[in-house]
Formats: sequence, structure tokens, C-alpha cells
Amino acid sequence: MSVLTARMGAVRLRGFGRRHPLVRLVVMRACLGVVTLWLVSVVIFAATQALPGNAAYAVLGHTATPQRLQAVEAELHLNRPVVSQYESWIGGVLRGDFGSSLANGESVAALIGPRVVNSAVLVVVSGVIGTLIAGALGVLAAARRDSWFDHVASVVALGVTALPEFVVAIALVILFSVLVLHALPAVSAIPPGSEPWQNLKELVLPVATLAIVIAPYIFRMARGAMVEAMESDYVEMARLKGLTRRRVLLLHAFPNAIPPVVQVVGLNLLYLAGGIVVVEYVFNYPGVGAALVDAVSNRDIPVIQFVVLVLTAFYVFVNIITDVVALLASPRRRTAG
Amino acid sequence: MRTVTRRELLSGAAKGGLALSAGGLIAACGGSSKTTSSHPLPSATKPRHGGTLTIGLTGGSSSDTLDPNSPVNNTDYARVANLYDALVWQDANARPYLRVAEEMTPNKDATTWTIRLRKGVLFHDGREATADDLIFSIKRVVNPKAPGEAANALHGIDTGGIRKLDRYTISVPFSHPYSTFFLSLANNITIYLVPVGFDPKRPIGTGPFKLVSFTPGQRSVFARWEHYWDQPLPYVDQLVMVDYSDESSQVNALLAGQVDCVNLLSQDVIGSVTSSGKKIVVSDGGGWNPFTMRVDQPPFDDVRVRQAFRLIVDRPKMMEIVFGGHGTIGNDIFAIWDSAYDHGIPQRQQDIEQAKHLLKAAGREGLTVQLVTADIAQGVVNMAQVFAQQAALAGVKVNLRKVTVTDFYGPNYLKWVFAQDYWYYQPYLPQVQQATLPTAPFNETHFDNPRYNALYQQALSTLDEAKRTEIAHEMQMIDYTEGGYIIPFFPPVIDGYGANVQGVVRSKVGSSFNDWDFRSMWLT
Repeated sequence: MSVLTARMGAVRLRGFGRRHPLVRLVVMRACLGVVTLWLVSVVIFAATQALPGNAAYAVLGHTATPQRLQAVEAELHLNRPVVSQYESWIGGVLRGDFGSSLANGESVAALIGPRVVNSAVLVVVSGVIGTLIAGALGVLAAARRDSWFDHVASVVALGVTALPEFVVAIALVILFSVLVLHALPAVSAIPPGSEPWQNLKELVLPVATLAIVIAPYIFRMARGAMVEAMESDYVEMARLKGLTRRRVLLLHAFPNAIPPVVQVVGLNLLYLAGGIVVVEYVFNYPGVGAALVDAVSNRDIPVIQFVVLVLTAFYVFVNIITDVVALLASPRRRTAG
Repeated sequence: MRTVTRRELLSGAAKGGLALSAGGLIAACGGSSKTTSSHPLPSATKPRHGGTLTIGLTGGSSSDTLDPNSPVNNTDYARVANLYDALVWQDANARPYLRVAEEMTPNKDATTWTIRLRKGVLFHDGREATADDLIFSIKRVVNPKAPGEAANALHGIDTGGIRKLDRYTISVPFSHPYSTFFLSLANNITIYLVPVGFDPKRPIGTGPFKLVSFTPGQRSVFARWEHYWDQPLPYVDQLVMVDYSDESSQVNALLAGQVDCVNLLSQDVIGSVTSSGKKIVVSDGGGWNPFTMRVDQPPFDDVRVRQAFRLIVDRPKMMEIVFGGHGTIGNDIFAIWDSAYDHGIPQRQQDIEQAKHLLKAAGREGLTVQLVTADIAQGVVNMAQVFAQQAALAGVKVNLRKVTVTDFYGPNYLKWVFAQDYWYYQPYLPQVQQATLPTAPFNETHFDNPRYNALYQQALSTLDEAKRTEIAHEMQMIDYTEGGYIIPFFPPVIDGYGANVQGVVRSKVGSSFNDWDFRSMWLT
């Protein structure tokens, strides 16, 4: 390519970027995201090496003798230098091969992939349900500010924030499975090979737990943002002009309350990605949190790296999406700078 | 991973009906420490075929395996015990018996053993098991490139000298007299029969159940093997084993009817299980969770310190606190259900005065030690905490250091100066060979007593059981006076099951459900 055409290409790109700031933002963030992924993989790899013991000890457990340890270490290629182990791992990843689990020899993607899907379903469904319900309640509370509904809802939200996840989970199990009613399964052990959406009954309690856990934050932010929007000048103007209360609420106040709510929803989705492990333990749900804890226990490096990469990618993705949505919802910010 | 709060929450909510029902059940169990026989618990029906038995097991992980050479955690033993048959097994009274072997006889000086297989034992692909398969199974265990767990029970074997005598019989020579070879196979670390050309990725055995599917860390499914040699077993059509990471979810699953059997419960949940109409079996297991003292390191290199530490423990009190009084009091000697166990040795009691006196004589007054503990088995950490409290009475300060299970069995395993461990049940002499000889693979106490070692060698050449028992008694006296183990009690094995499950027995073997004996259970 000649220097001239290269220059023209660059100018066209820059012009494109200037006219489409959103796309530029997404592309830049995505590139930074890839760098983040790589850095995280290095740090986690180093951290796992720093732990005492290795996968051979973990696999053999209390039956480990020096000869068997040596045999297993050789089989798992753990006696190679650390840098070369990392190099062969990342070489595989760039080819799309995430390696085999050190604990059981199965392909990491085949073993953990379904568990990622399970957790993703849980996170997305809980996120959506929690957001819709809490958001609606928040808007309602703001609309009926200082009414009994508002006070009760705010106090309940505060109370729920104080409850740890497993307390909510166990309370739901006691109420709906074991003691009071026997309507729902107490554990959600979805069989391998079966998809979460084929086992809807099993999902109800875990989703309810997570939705309840994130609801208070979204409720309070929705309420707060709505109140602020309703106190603004343009809303007062709209009211003075004689527009109906509902129109003012939904078409003028609500759209301006979206950006802060979206940020909180994003933060809560990120929290769910990590906090899901407690729910997985209580409900024996075959998700990615429990897989990660088990993998660390087993010093199962390929699995640890895979799960960490997936979670980091999720974090990067959610961050990008929330910023994009927030930008889209406030036209003013789009054109600034 | 375990938080008392969660369990308390669950059992607290059910405490209403618990007191009466729990008391009633424990009384019905006969105060487990006094019962010495194991009778099947009352079952209303005759065995019938059919149904799916679902088991919820803790202890599993993504390192789950189906390879009979290397079962490590409880779920592995459960799978292996049902997929394969061993040559020798134990009954509910911990008595060894021949399972898929028909005969095992030593020659005059116990250097060669003749093993004959039963006829008509079929692998899951329909082939009959013959001497070739037996030779292959043995060689697989002692393969130097990938030795199996039972390689130790076969120490001294001369694999090149194995002779096939006929279609079902082989002779196995050893480089030394080995009178206890049969006994050393009587536990779940043993020779399981596999076919020639066995592939762990597509495992087949002669066991009552054949493999349908296996996902490590999650679930395994087995189907009844119609041509199992020990008809009419097994009774159920399908066996499903599900991994649970946590006791709370395991118990919830049982209470909600999503599993039929659960293993290794703590005594805290007995109440909530029984008050919801499910059942509990408390077995006087022979498994043991000792405190281990390295006899080659200060302060425990002085036998007086070891004796003092053994006198510090209030055994009934510790058993009461940790297991609600279930279990069997121990006397610092393992293999309590072995016929060679010397029940005549006086039972040690707590004696703080004597302990203080011994410590003073050893110049170790006001001793401070670190005790390494981990969640390696039910109740182990609790035992450590109770020991620390009891030690304070004798002026000994015990600092608890709790590590993760992986760290515990990591590079420092067998090197800790003062720690704990857990063992399944084995008869006395095989247990000695695993733990208290300088050549033992798991000699965590670094015990090396010349008289003891000589006695063991003598026992290996002694085929007469009465004479061998005498030797064992003398060895046990050395364990009692000079050993590095503190064995306060033998923990109970507490399992839970639904009311529709029959054939559950109380067992002394020390692992759940009478060594995973699902072949003998049926559903109503």
C-alpha cells in the first residue's frame, strides 16, 4: 500500500471516528479490554504458581506418595519451567484451544462451557427480573413520594440490603421447599447435558434470591434519580404547561433518570458475576463460581485461567454496554467533547 | 466453606419437633457406643427390584475419577465400589471375606499365594473374568510408571514370577513372607478386578452397576448389570450419584426428596432430618481421626511429652462435644474392630496431674505448640479446638493453625510436627504397614522402633492366627506406651436416607452405607 493511500485511509478513519463517537468509544474500550484480559491472565497464572502445592498434590490428596506424585507431575507436564507452561497455554488460547483440566483430563471448554452458560442464564434472568421489578417500584415510590407506600418500600429495601445472600437463599428454601410449603425444589442440580431453560422449576429459587439481593440498590437509585428528575426545571415547566402527570412522569422525567440507574444495574450485574458462588453452593447449582473455587483448590490452572478470562471479558463487556446505554440515554453527553 | 450460622439457621428452624424425635431415635439406636453388632435396621418389606436410587455425596471435586487405581475422595470410593468388584471385601462387622476371589491360600512359608477366581463372573461387556484378567489387574496396580494406591499392599511382589495355573487360578510369589496379604486387601484400597486392556476412559468392571455417564465434579449415572454374578443383586435399576459441595444443600435435597441417600452428616443435622420424616443411621465406624505427633522432633521426641499429651484428652467429653456422644472411645491404638485388637489394655483416662508431672520431668512445663488442622473430615477441626481447651488445663498452650485441605495434603504432608489426619478402617497389621513402620508410605509420626519393626517382620512369617495375635498384642502395647498417635475415639459415620430406602445397615467399616453397599439396597 503506498504512503498516500495509507494516509488517506487514516484520515478517513479519523473522520469516521469524529462523526461516530460512540463507535470510537466502543472500539477503544474493546482494545483496552483485550489488554486487560492479557494482563489478568498473567497475574492469575503467577498467583496460582505462588500457592503451595500443585495439581498433582491436589489430584492425589491424602494418598500421595513421592513416586505417585512424580508420576502424576510428569503426566501433567508440571515439571516444565513456569514461563514455558504459560507460553504453551496462551499459544493454545490464541488457537482457540483452552487446554485440558489437570484434575480430570477433560477439555476445559467442554467441561466449563456449559457451566458458564448456566451461570450466565442465572445472572441475566435475575438481572432482568430484579431490574424491572425494582425499577418499577422505585419509579412508583418516587411518584408517590412520602406516602405510606414510599416509606414502607424504603425501609424494606434498607432491611434487605443488610441481609447476606445465603440468609435470603435459605429463608426462601425454608419457606418454599422444606418447611412451610413444598412447592419448589430445594436444590437446583441441573443434570449435565440439560440446559437451564429445560429446568425452569429449578431456577425459580436461585433467581428469586439473586433478584432480591440486587433489588434494593436498583430501587433506591431509581427512586432517587426519579425524584431528582421530577424536581428539575424542565419537569416543572412541563407541569405548568398543563401536561398530564403520567405523561410528565414517563416521557419527561423517566428518560432522564435512566443513566444513573443503568450504572447501578451494571454494577449489580458485575456483583452478581462474583456473588453468584454463594447461591451456587446453597442450591448446588452447576455454575461457574463453584467451578472456580474447586479449580483453585485443585490448582487446576487451565480451568482457573478459562474462568477468569470469561469473568474478565464479562466485566469489560458490561462496562462498555453501561457506558454506551448511558450515553444513548442522554443526548446532551453524546455531543459534548 | 462451612459456616456454623447456616447450619444453625436450618436446624434452628426445625428445633420444634427435634428434641423428642432425636432423643427417641438415638435411644432406639441403642446408644451407639455400646452396640457391637450390626443388624440390618428394621425394614418392612422383602427386597424388590426396580427404581432409581439417587445419592447426594459430599467430598467430590473436579478431580473425581473412575479409575480403581486411584480413588481419592469419598465419591471416588463410592463409584469404584459399585463399578468394580474387589478380590476381598469387608462385611458390616468389619470381617474380611472373599468377594470375587473364591480362594486365597498361602504356601507353607507364606511367600507364595494362590488365588482362584469365581467362575461365571462376567464383565460389563459380557466376557468372563479369567486368570489373565487377574494378572492384568495386579500388574496394573504395581505398574512402576503409574503405581496405584494399592501398590503398597503388594510390596515385595515378584510380578515376573506370577504363574497362571489354570483358567481361573494364579500363583503370586513375594520376595518375603507375607502372611497378612489377605488381610491387607480387606479395605477399599485394594485390587479391583479389571479386564485385560482396561481403558479408564471407557471403564468396565464386574461390579453390580455399569457406567452410563460420568461428569467429574457433578454427577455419575450407573445402570444395573443384569448378569451380575451375585444374583439377585443388585435390586435397583439405576444408581445416580450427585456431587454436593456443602452439607446444607445436601440435607435440603434429602428433605425435599430430591435425593434418597446422603453421606457423612454432622451430628448437628440429625434433628432436622428426623423431624422431617427422613431417617438417620449412625454407624460405629472403625475409621480413625488421630492427632499425630512426630516422634523425631522436639518436643515430641521425648516419650514423656507424648504420654502427657495422651493423658490430657478427656475422651468422652471430646466425643460428646464433637459428635454428640456418638462413636467409640479409643485407646490410642488403631484397628479397634480387628479380632487381634487387645481389648485388655487398660483404657486411658484423662489425668491432668500425671500429665503435668510428666511434662515437668521432661522439662517442658508451660509448653507452647502449634497444631495444624484442616477440614479434612467431619469433626476434625472441632476436635482440635476441644484439644486446645483441654490442654490449657495442663499448662500447655496450643496454637491452632487451620489450613486448606489442599495445603494440608501439599508438600508439608507427613512433615507436620503436630497435626491431625483421617484414616479409613483397616485390620491391625496392614494398618501398621501403612503408618507405623519406617518403610510405611504414610508414616506421619516418623515412628521407628526396632523391637516393633522386628515384631512386624516376625508377624509376616507367622501363619498361625493365634500366634500372630500374640505378636500383634505386643506391638499394640508399644503403640500404647510409646506411639505418636492420640486416638481419642473412633468417629461415628452418620448417614441419612429417605423412608422409601430399605436394606440400610449399621456398619463398622468406617465409610458410608457399609462401604457404599448400594447393591444390597432396594426401594419401596
